[in-house]
Amino acid sequence: MTAPLLVMTGAVKRFGGVQALRGVDFDLKAGEIHALLGENGAGKSTLMNLLSGVYTPDEGTIEIDGKPVRFNNPREAQAAGIATIFQELDLVPSLDVAANLFLGRELMRPGGFLDVPAMRREAKKRLEAIEIAIDPGAMVADLSIGQRQVVAIVKALSYASRVLIMDEPTAALTVGEVERLFDIMRKLAATGVGIVYISHRLEEVPGIADRVTVMRDGRVAGITEPHAPQAELVRLLVGRPLDELYPQRAKGAGKPLLSLRDASFKLARDSAGWQAPQGVSLDVHEGEIVGLAGIMGAGRTELLSALYGTGLSGHWEGEVAISGRPVKLDSIKAARHAGIAFVTDDRRGSGLMLRMAVGLNLVMSVIRRISPNWLVSPRRQAEAVKESFGQFDIRPKNPDIAVGALSGGNQQKVVLAKEILGNPRLLLLDEPTRGVDVGAKGEIYARLRALAAQGLGILVASSEMPELIGLCDRIVVLRQGRNVAEFMGGVDEHTVLAAANGREA
Amino acid sequence: MSDEKISAAGAPVTAAPQKHRDPLALIVRFQSLIGLVLVAIGGIIFSPRRHGEILFLNPDNIANIVRAVSETGIIAIGMTFVIITAGIDLSVGAVLGLSSVVTASMMISGGFGLIPTILAVLVMGIVFGAIQGTISTRFRLEPFIVTLAGLQAARGLALVVSGNQYINISYGDGPGLAPPVFAVLGERLFNNTVPVATLVFIVFAAIATIVLNTTRFGRYVFAVGGNERAARISGVPVSMVKISVYAITGFAAALAGIVHAGQFNFGSANDGMGYELTAIAAVVIGGTSLFGGAGSMVGTVAGTIMLGALANILQLNNITPAMQLLATAAIIVLAAVLQSLVRRREGLGR
Repeated sequence: MTAPLLVMTGAVKRFGGVQALRGVDFDLKAGEIHALLGENGAGKSTLMNLLSGVYTPDEGTIEIDGKPVRFNNPREAQAAGIATIFQELDLVPSLDVAANLFLGRELMRPGGFLDVPAMRREAKKRLEAIEIAIDPGAMVADLSIGQRQVVAIVKALSYASRVLIMDEPTAALTVGEVERLFDIMRKLAATGVGIVYISHRLEEVPGIADRVTVMRDGRVAGITEPHAPQAELVRLLVGRPLDELYPQRAKGAGKPLLSLRDASFKLARDSAGWQAPQGVSLDVHEGEIVGLAGIMGAGRTELLSALYGTGLSGHWEGEVAISGRPVKLDSIKAARHAGIAFVTDDRRGSGLMLRMAVGLNLVMSVIRRISPNWLVSPRRQAEAVKESFGQFDIRPKNPDIAVGALSGGNQQKVVLAKEILGNPRLLLLDEPTRGVDVGAKGEIYARLRALAAQGLGILVASSEMPELIGLCDRIVVLRQGRNVAEFMGGVDEHTVLAAANGREA
Repeated sequence: MSDEKISAAGAPVTAAPQKHRDPLALIVRFQSLIGLVLVAIGGIIFSPRRHGEILFLNPDNIANIVRAVSETGIIAIGMTFVIITAGIDLSVGAVLGLSSVVTASMMISGGFGLIPTILAVLVMGIVFGAIQGTISTRFRLEPFIVTLAGLQAARGLALVVSGNQYINISYGDGPGLAPPVFAVLGERLFNNTVPVATLVFIVFAAIATIVLNTTRFGRYVFAVGGNERAARISGVPVSMVKISVYAITGFAAALAGIVHAGQFNFGSANDGMGYELTAIAAVVIGGTSLFGGAGSMVGTVAGTIMLGALANILQLNNITPAMQLLATAAIIVLAAVLQSLVRRREGLGR
């Protein structure tokens, strides 16, 4: 594994007046796992798109096995052995695993009929080759995100098998699933596949990568050892030493804000795969940030959406109180009336009107406030927008551009700013920094802490353990819809993981 | 109309000048106005002349164009609300037919006065639309299928009411006659220049523009189309908004039906066929996105008049209706392609 499998030299790519890549050198050896880090807008997506044939470079060359290649479309890159797994997996949820694996290249019987048994057999063989037990006849829609990821990998490798490019593969995975994914990646690398691993999560790098390239502003900021100190990686990423990522914790919390006592959410109709809260008891005090930990399917998202009334229909049993007064949280209206705001884990799907201007998105939760007498007051609207821009450093500082054109971090700031405009007393956050770069993360944590200092209570669910441990005052661990343990912030990760998995630490 | 800024979603948030706008996006933003100007220029160039007079610019001809588009224009105004919420209403042409029949029969056989008749028909349109909206939201059905059924239902009702006969409207005092003032809908005001039907269209368009761009309700409409789930989470009363926009299209179709009865002096169950498609075409040419969340009332008005002007030029040159259809088809495709290109540039399309 000495001769590079893939070499990119001096790659330049412009989009209109914007230079996305300004002369990037990158190489990958066979059997190597090469991590590519960079904040949003650093150019790693563009680099990936050049390698996978989505774009062609304006300048620079790509060589495979020392021979120059030029990809005009993704198919040519696949033919050269480069497989790409995009963040949004290109699987058809309503088809089964085998049908997805053979989509577009179905095995046929004479006469033009699908040979389903042969495809299932072959699919099973390929899944077993990486020691994964997924039923080839299962609908993709019924698989967990982690399982879908595996199917996408197997599918990509069946097209092309020399280079595997993975864009943020762990963004939606739980800790256990990440470990399984890493196992698969190591096995693949051992067979000689070169893997480009794109990620935001610095802490994963030492565990998986052989080499790390950090990008910034369309250039390579540095190539380092995976075991380089995290501070060094952060310095390369943001171009300056970053202050403490997590802000100081609060001195003490205020009065109880949200109190659940043996509270269960009874579904109107049973639904498999939706882990309703079961006998949950927890408190969120004014000025306190409480984390919800748990493995995938433990019911973190379900608890938040049941409190906000966006989950499945049903009703709460047991004690649910806000500021000591019992409340009936059965609809969004009731939740908002109680002073609760909610930020979903899916900002593109259910957080933002992507094609609408940033400003119009920001005022969405306060339309009533800015339209006394039913007429929208441009002055009140401008004031609200200004307030949001004062709260969060949203870039670019222009409320008139479509929010979909912003980076992930800035979109997340818009979603948060939007809900905070409504002056909630309790903020429910689901994966508040998913797909957000380190710089924006730090800013979001600082703002959340500042808001808590003003008395806001925050209940935050996250699959990123370091985030919960660093940000929260207390961490409540859920398992099968119940609260099974509680820790103070700063607890060590293994203790929380053990509780989440139901093991002794 | 010219100083009205067509914004992606209502009024601009700040007065700050926008830097380096994509020229393609600008073209699409004003595509219907640009198209209208181009069609007008084409009309002048290709217009037949008589004694040196450009027939296309003859005041009678222009009045004719804006009169001919007034009914589909009124419908397109309502349709713009629905399409901004990412919905569609196929029932409007049939509701126009039903409304013309009910208008005629209430006045002629029912002996009702003008005002009660108009109010009753408008309320009927609102209720018809609201029922469709309620069915669609309550049972989570695609508006396409609900309003397709609504189309059939309205035609059926119209046939029942009319007994599949033209109901002629005769004017005068007394039973079986309509008040003569109703006939004003077929006339022109201001020195015989401005058709009354066009006035109704323009006034309705002006009110709709204000509602869409400056009211809380208008903002809700954009929000529901922009991202229904996000709107719900932000506390927007999504079902109420959806029911309301179908009530608005029902109202618009009923208004157009009254205008229709007044212009042609009869009610006919089979009139208004295909109007829904012309209206949808005008809305799309006007720059409103079928994906929802973006659109403009001014664009719809311009799109409506542009389609009418185009048909007029082709007629003046004795070009067959078949060619008119083909020309309309080409313009719809062009408008849609332009929008798609902009979406892709913005990195929002697939």
